[in-house]
Amino acid sequence: MARTLGTILTAMLIWTAVETRCEQHSDPKPIAVITEMISNADAGTIIRVPAGVYEGNLVVRKPVVLDGSDGAVLDGLGRGTVIEVLADGVVIRHCTVRNSGLDVTGEPAAIRVIAADVVIESNNISESLFGIDLRESPNAIIRSNKIECIDLEPGRRGDGIRLWWSHGCLVEGNVVHNSRDMVFWYSEDLRIRGNTVMGSRYGLHFMYSHGSVLEQNDLLNNSVGVYLMYSNGITLRENRMSNNRGASGYGIGLKDCDDITITGNALLANRVGVYIDNSPSSVGSKGLFESNLIAFNEIGLLATPNTHDNVFTNNAFIENEEPAATHGRGRLVNNTFAREGVGNYWSDYAGFDLDGNGIGDVVYEPQSLFGAMLANEPNLRLFVHSPAQRAIEFTSRALPELRPQSTLVDPSPLASPPEIRLDMAAKGRQVGSMLMLAVSMLAIAAGVIVYTIVEPRLGAAPRGDRS
Amino acid sequence: MIHSANITKRFGKMQAVSDVSFALEAGGSVALWGSNGAGKTTLIRCLLGVIRHRGRVTMNGIDVRRRGRHARALVGYVPQELAFHDDARLGSAMMFFAKLRGVDRAQAARALDAVGLTGHERKRVRDLSGGMKQRLALAVALLSDPPLIILDEPTSNLDAAGRGEVVLTLQQLREAGKTLLFASHRPDEVISLADRVLVLERGQLERDTTPAELWPTEKPVQVVRLYLSMASETDAADALRSAGHAVHLNGHGLCVAVARDRKAEPIIALARHHIEVRDIEVLDDVRLPEASQ
Amino acid sequence: MSSAQLQSHPIPIGMPTAPSFVGGIARFARREFRDALASKWFILYTMAFTVLAVGVSFLSLSGVGSHGFAGFGRTAAGLLNLIMLVVPLMALTAGAGSIAGERERGTLLYMLSQPVSRSQVLLGKYFGLAVALICSLCIGFGISAGVLAWRAGGAGVFDFLMLIGLTALLAIAMLSVGFLISVVSRRTSVATGVALFVWLTLVFVSDLGLMASSVIFKLHVQEIFGLASINPLQCFKMAVIVSMNASLDVLGPVGAYASQTLGSALPWVLVSTLIAWTIAPLGVAIFLFTRRGTV
Repeated sequence: MARTLGTILTAMLIWTAVETRCEQHSDPKPIAVITEMISNADAGTIIRVPAGVYEGNLVVRKPVVLDGSDGAVLDGLGRGTVIEVLADGVVIRHCTVRNSGLDVTGEPAAIRVIAADVVIESNNISESLFGIDLRESPNAIIRSNKIECIDLEPGRRGDGIRLWWSHGCLVEGNVVHNSRDMVFWYSEDLRIRGNTVMGSRYGLHFMYSHGSVLEQNDLLNNSVGVYLMYSNGITLRENRMSNNRGASGYGIGLKDCDDITITGNALLANRVGVYIDNSPSSVGSKGLFESNLIAFNEIGLLATPNTHDNVFTNNAFIENEEPAATHGRGRLVNNTFAREGVGNYWSDYAGFDLDGNGIGDVVYEPQSLFGAMLANEPNLRLFVHSPAQRAIEFTSRALPELRPQSTLVDPSPLASPPEIRLDMAAKGRQVGSMLMLAVSMLAIAAGVIVYTIVEPRLGAAPRGDRS
Repeated sequence: MIHSANITKRFGKMQAVSDVSFALEAGGSVALWGSNGAGKTTLIRCLLGVIRHRGRVTMNGIDVRRRGRHARALVGYVPQELAFHDDARLGSAMMFFAKLRGVDRAQAARALDAVGLTGHERKRVRDLSGGMKQRLALAVALLSDPPLIILDEPTSNLDAAGRGEVVLTLQQLREAGKTLLFASHRPDEVISLADRVLVLERGQLERDTTPAELWPTEKPVQVVRLYLSMASETDAADALRSAGHAVHLNGHGLCVAVARDRKAEPIIALARHHIEVRDIEVLDDVRLPEASQ
Repeated sequence: MSSAQLQSHPIPIGMPTAPSFVGGIARFARREFRDALASKWFILYTMAFTVLAVGVSFLSLSGVGSHGFAGFGRTAAGLLNLIMLVVPLMALTAGAGSIAGERERGTLLYMLSQPVSRSQVLLGKYFGLAVALICSLCIGFGISAGVLAWRAGGAGVFDFLMLIGLTALLAIAMLSVGFLISVVSRRTSVATGVALFVWLTLVFVSDLGLMASSVIFKLHVQEIFGLASINPLQCFKMAVIVSMNASLDVLGPVGAYASQTLGSALPWVLVSTLIAWTIAPLGVAIFLFTRRGTV
């Protein structure tokens, strides 16, 4: 799926490149052309920037609408920030912005805002260190931008979108590629919806940013999907984190966060589905994990041993290599794995539901000998996915005295997985190509077999007249 | 055609072939003569280069060890018993060898026809009789019309009629100018096919001679038919052969060629092996000569 | 065969000639492939592999509804285990039976009396069996790809292709080892026994032994990685995981070490190790087969 998107994006890039080359037939103009247009305009006017490439660094100091839908390209020529917005209420839309500086010390961005009530919409940002950078810019709307950062090594990249001390902003429907993070510092009351982040370090990263809602974001192929640090009162709803398999590789990571609510998310094929480090950290606060699909991860739930006061209910833990594990020695017994008699679905649950009430009749207690060995000897993780690992698990099942203590106890495990739907269009379904693969594999086999078997018959019988 | 110098082959401690040197001119025909275990089969395998040996063999000047496959391209080989994949069908086996030898379909069909196997193409190799297998092997050997044919007891699995056919075919090949090298312990075959006999004994080349010298026909020979119990016939044949007699075994008893004045010899030999002879019958002068050695 | 030699021993015109080196190999490969198709082991293994692969694909995707498309990783993990058990067994026993079987049935001698060299016979048989094995895998993977397309809507076509490719490489590597076993064994039963022993060693014994020694001797990550990557099965596993994740971080500290030190060379190192496991045993097998000269 990612590759299809990648291909599409590449195609778009090539398209843009071709377009750019066409544009370059008309000579690039200095950015001063736009500056002059702004200074000639009244506050609040819509300035339609004519098609063309404008080179240089633009500073907007008047509340105007800059509309580049005729084909305006703002090129920073690799020096500094391309557009800097210093006036409240500025709107920048449909512009192509590219070529910011690369020097990390100045943190050059494609668009930098230091003003309130700004709208940055439907821009196409490429070849820049930082994408959109808001500093102390409350109530901004950042919507439907496409941001492609320069594919530097992760440590040298800039952030696709960064908010710093910017409360009450809406970040919606942006597509970010190859950035460091989409990161929120000290910003409260945010709504982050329907963004797609891929190929970056942290998909969504919260630092000391409280009271926000994250909905229907799609975070894939990053090192970490969502990483919340020191941020309280955050709700994650119906997001999808898939295939985040970097060195950390968490679908969701929580570090010292209070009152987090995580419902209806799909955490698929990450290294770790949910990672919890000392959350909640304050006395009296709780964490809630409800109706999430946690499937195909190497580890479904990983938590530090001191983790406590989290409630897990109605989640589906399906086919994770390890359903739940502690980071180091210890157990997860200070958390609750059922609420009001509703536990979670565990695909490795071996119990039964005789009374048919949907709740398994014996408690779920995962006892993986290999998992216990991993807790003591992390190096042994090299041997996961191998028959030797199966052999060890098999041995511990056959010899009860080898069975380790269970990491957790779910008193009311669900007998069947709860239905968890995401209101998100399935992207890049490749039924056709997979079917084609199936057919071609079989065709290859059949072809080779037929080719080899058919050989000229010896003897007469040119027309099969011999019985 | 063949030059062999100092062929030596040992299996462990046993010297199967030791220091055998001979030369065979193109168009010549030579028989390897000797009792079982004398090293005939091993020598043939060395000549073909399929087993490792010391010494040097060339065919038409091509070194068998270094350029074995080019040398073997000149040879049609008929083993004692054809061992080919049992599941394969005769036609497909034939096509396999035809392609291996770069021969087209028509010629493969002609080769099958020449040995009278046309119409059996759909039979599996496992279902062929001993005679048919032998004829298939001969057909394969003749596929590419090679100048040299090497046969390892080509008639050992055949009845009298089959043997006659094979001998006839080989005589035609000789007349066509092919070079023949074959192992046999049937004096009649040797006399009718070979112009030279290499006598092997315990792996060594004892004599390089002619059939006429080996079996001087002027020496009066008689054939004695021995009547034995059916079960012991094969054992008896083996015993007599190892005693140096020419033996012929068929449904009517065991025939052995002896000098006129030594008719008791086979009976004594059998007695030594505790095989009882019920009756004997001296036949008229049948041309089945005796080995003089 | 150098041209100088060819010139010094010209083959007289009109004489039958041996087939070309490649041509001879091709004849034997085709013969071998046909025999394999008709043989019980091929049909049995293909059926077993197909049923297991389809079962794994099917089971690993149940209960995730429309999210199955993201689940290929898990299916692959299940397939990985299956492949590591079944494919080496298939290839090792098929290889072990090859030369030893011909020798035991007495068919080898007749083959060798044809105008072909020993290395041609061996390589022909090898390629024939390799193609048969790959066909068998294609059938199994093809049907399970169909199941994935039906159940999961099929993402990860490239991952799946990589998995198939690497499995084929593992199969031919194990086939090489099987051939080596076959060449040095006098009898089929011995060869099969040795093949099973090698299989057990590669699949279980070496991993468990390495686990134990890494705990007991407190081996460093680089030592563990070095020792583990000698095992072609571990190499295969790591290569599959690298192809799907671009790094080995999922394999813990040892994997992370490998990813960091080898970087982008890692997949090539792993694949080259597998290729070495293909070429080296086959080379030794050819050497011994031509050298020993037994039939």
